[in-house]
Amino acid sequence: MTKEKLLGSQVQHLLSTLSDHGTQHLNEVETDLVQTSFLLGEAIQKLGTSFMAIHEAIASQQQTIDLLLSGATLTPEIAENLKARHGEIGKHVNAAVTGLQFQDMTGQLISRTVRRVIGLREVLGGLSAGSASISESNAEEIVATLHTINTVLEEQSVKLESALWKAVCQTHMESGDIELF
Amino acid sequence: MAKTILAVDDSGSLRQMVVFSLRAAGYQVTEAVDGQDGLEKAKGQIFDLVLTDQNMPRMDGLTLIRSLRGLPTYQKVPILMLTTESSDEMKSKGRAAGANGWLVKPFDPQRLTEVVKKVIG
Repeated sequence: MTKEKLLGSQVQHLLSTLSDHGTQHLNEVETDLVQTSFLLGEAIQKLGTSFMAIHEAIASQQQTIDLLLSGATLTPEIAENLKARHGEIGKHVNAAVTGLQFQDMTGQLISRTVRRVIGLREVLGGLSAGSASISESNAEEIVATLHTINTVLEEQSVKLESALWKAVCQTHMESGDIELF
Repeated sequence: MAKTILAVDDSGSLRQMVVFSLRAAGYQVTEAVDGQDGLEKAKGQIFDLVLTDQNMPRMDGLTLIRSLRGLPTYQKVPILMLTTESSDEMKSKGRAAGANGWLVKPFDPQRLTEVVKKVIG
């Protein structure tokens, strides 16, 4: 193979590797951000629903209390109504507690995204540093430099991927499974 | 006397929800911000149950469980994982480390309380 062809082959390999690994990392970033958006959207919807339901239950409870304060007799129906409202409030508070856990999950996803972006920036920084001497090199040296850059780029990208274990796979704010061993 | 629970999680908001749920059910809850903090607190007091997250700085949940199981005082204390991790592989690792159960986040307070009640009464 001629020097020109060798050089062309190394440049093609470098651009192809850069494109493949860059795309792979950006796809992961996109997936994590979309998942974060789903979780946030659902959590806010759940919290809004819980907030309104708690407000309605408390307003209904207050009406009954006002009735009693105005001198009405405490009948079994009124007692039952108060008990039902109390249960309803508890149920919606529980739903809100489940929804409020969004910060833990979305925080993990955002943290993973940030670490990936920082890692990708470092990989690209290495690419720039590795190519600094190319302008003063001959064709053989350029081929050798590009080969080294390729190897380092692939190694760093694979290392970055393996360090970013995906711990959050949930796409809904429904409560999770429980298993006793 | 109220049963004591050590809740280990690096997420402040999650710990707040765990404490809210379990205190409402009558349990006495102590918080730890990561596995290392949890281990130090567990060495200072024998809790009736340990509830721990997996992914935490300084010391993760599996390492905490292994460390606790190495202490004579924690060989029989129930330890539950409360984590976003839901893979069978991680559950197997948890079981092998000495966990007694696996709860996937987000948790429902009523279900969490029921499980805790089932385990320690």
